[in-house]
Amino acid sequence: MPLDTSTYSLALLRLDGRRWNELRNIHAQISTQAAADGSSYLEMGNTKVLCTVTGPAEGRQSGQRGGKDNEAKVEVEIGFAGFSGLERRKRKNDKRTSEMQHTLETAYSSLLLTHLYPHSTITLNIHILSQDGSLLAACINAATLALIDAGIPMTDYLVACTAASSATSAESDNSDPLLDLNNLEEQELSFLTVGTLGRSDRVSVLIMETRVRMERVEGMLAVGIDGCKRMREILDRVVKEYGQRFS
Amino acid sequence: MPQEAQISVNERAFIQDALKEQLRLDGRAFDAFRPLELTFGDEYGVADVQLGKTRVIARISVDVTTPLPERKFDGVFQIITEFSPMASPAFEVGRPTNAEVVLSRILEKAIRRSNALDTESLCIIAGLKCFALRADVHVIDHDGGLIDASCIAVMAALQHFRRPDVLVEGEKATVLSIRERDPIPLSILHQPLCVTFSYFEEGELFLVDSNLAEEQVRDGEVIITMNRHGEVCQIAKYGGAPVEPYALFNLTSLALQKVKEMSKFIQERLDEDAKRRNAGGLLAELSAENDRPFDRPVG
Amino acid sequence: MAVDTMIVLPGDEVPQDALPTPTGKKKQLTLGPGLRHIPPSTVASTIVGALVTDDKKVAAWIESNSGRYLPTAGDLVIATVQTSTAEAFNCTLTPHTPYATLPHLAFEGATKKTRPQLAPNSLVYARVVTATKDFAPELTCVDPSTGKSEGLGPIKGGMVFKISLGMARRMLAGSKGGVVLLEALGEKLGFEIAVGRNGAVVVDGGKVKSTLAIGKAIQEVDEQALGEKAQKKLAERVLKSV
Repeated sequence: MPLDTSTYSLALLRLDGRRWNELRNIHAQISTQAAADGSSYLEMGNTKVLCTVTGPAEGRQSGQRGGKDNEAKVEVEIGFAGFSGLERRKRKNDKRTSEMQHTLETAYSSLLLTHLYPHSTITLNIHILSQDGSLLAACINAATLALIDAGIPMTDYLVACTAASSATSAESDNSDPLLDLNNLEEQELSFLTVGTLGRSDRVSVLIMETRVRMERVEGMLAVGIDGCKRMREILDRVVKEYGQRFS
Repeated sequence: MPQEAQISVNERAFIQDALKEQLRLDGRAFDAFRPLELTFGDEYGVADVQLGKTRVIARISVDVTTPLPERKFDGVFQIITEFSPMASPAFEVGRPTNAEVVLSRILEKAIRRSNALDTESLCIIAGLKCFALRADVHVIDHDGGLIDASCIAVMAALQHFRRPDVLVEGEKATVLSIRERDPIPLSILHQPLCVTFSYFEEGELFLVDSNLAEEQVRDGEVIITMNRHGEVCQIAKYGGAPVEPYALFNLTSLALQKVKEMSKFIQERLDEDAKRRNAGGLLAELSAENDRPFDRPVG
Repeated sequence: MAVDTMIVLPGDEVPQDALPTPTGKKKQLTLGPGLRHIPPSTVASTIVGALVTDDKKVAAWIESNSGRYLPTAGDLVIATVQTSTAEAFNCTLTPHTPYATLPHLAFEGATKKTRPQLAPNSLVYARVVTATKDFAPELTCVDPSTGKSEGLGPIKGGMVFKISLGMARRMLAGSKGGVVLLEALGEKLGFEIAVGRNGAVVVDGGKVKSTLAIGKAIQEVDEQALGEKAQKKLAERVLKSV
């Protein structure tokens, strides 16, 4: 495995110098855009995401304004900046992006109190400025911050994080799970993205795309959930710091 | 976007009440699949799966092309899903619903990304010629459980498919027709199968293989793809109501059990089909007697 | 109903002696759904089904089991409320079809102030008032002559079971339809049932188990085309299981 496992087991440090359970540097701001109803900017290491919220407002299409059963509809639009990846590639609306949009839409439509806003749409615009792993997690965290900024009522925070298993085979014992992956690690290891309601352990989003032994899932999930808790503390601080300005 | 007709409030309440009393509308146990039927076509690589009223047909076809420049040693493998209006009036041609996006992504992750098919074996001459394999998934009738049924159909079709043999002489490759040389089965590395769990009552209750009505009432779904060796190929829980993490572990072990059952079923059907194709065995093939219709005069 | 049913296929000519002959005051033969008159005197069928004649009314029509329900004035239907406009509910009779309108005031005792509030996707037992090709079909839940509901109105509880249109017609036809299942079940079980001509029955047996059993039995009669004897046997089996 090209991810230097030999160095890892010696110094117990990852390629970028982190320990196994260390999050990357996280920087976040809210209310970054004046024009939007709510907005946020989030950096998780070199993954940089900008998110704006519009709504709840009457939807753009005239026919179907709200979601089903007199509830608000959540719409998510994810755009990639041309310079976000290593190669400048024109990304059309491919299936991976629509899957991410679908994930955010379903996660937030059960989390937000959509029944308070019948016949309306809440639009989330997410712009990805730089990609370096944990993309879905960054999108979820940024969206949560932006929704808080927009003042849309929700039952709880949704925070997300990635976790991987560094074991190469089923037998090896040094199967340290890793937290918060960057792009290189994502390409080499099997990982999952988990989104929880920060305070409790309840899992709202769980996406795993690579093959792994079923015994490993438990460890990965446990580390991921733990990471989510810390992520929540960080986001909490961001919101509180912003609130201090008004006190 | 085209939408499924919504279920009435009466039906919704009734299904939930019934589940509270441990009853499913069709009388199944909570962890039971609907009756599964798998048949193969006359040609290689056609699998027809019926799961209750849901019906999916997968067909594998092969072509020779140049490999992608960044993957010189790999063949090409594509899975194409199509929801035709035949399956449900809610489907429209050319406007993919969310369900369609999810289905194609799950199949992509479950089968293609998990390397179920050894694409290197599809390479003929590195960088010049390779086989392009295409799996077309057609949803013929829709009554829920499309992902599970489609995954079974594609995997069964892949295992059933035989590609033509090739003769390579230097830079020249000749594809031999089925008559010249026996076609070759694909090299399948493992058999991922999907199990969709729908949950109700805030994640207290999990159902396997829900039908359309149950799918409309559920709080959320967890799609787990595993192979019978106990490897998880993919897990997808797209939002929905949150569930306790330990419930998810229980699901993986339940999924493993289901996947083992299904793998066995597919293998049985494949064996039956092989037996049918090779009715007389080698002896019949070598026999000098031709089955000419003597009793029917020509013309 | 004719004793020996004659099955006709589209394009079949119906022989003269199979049709009732006009006698007495009524000089004209009335042709119902599925029959076509080709002048001078040929009668041909346009759909597949059983030829039914009525000598008293001098009428003939084809009884068939069609796919989609087409609204006809006077039919009892189970409608699903989709949206509400200023004056009416928009309902669907079959999924993915244009709306039928159900005025807010077409309920028993409804006035501008006391009209019913129906949530989207709730069920209503209604009668088709008008069904023309130019307008959306209109539904009502009151009998215009009495102003009473006569059993129509919003449906609470119960479960919907899909049946074929022919079965729905048979169930509404009473003793002529040859469905004895419900009566046999009713001897021991108490339940409410609403049959819609649009191919749906709502059954409420009080308990989940009995509702399911009754609904399943109706569907079984429909799917396997059970005769009266088999229906009675089925009823016994259902009663035993509940």
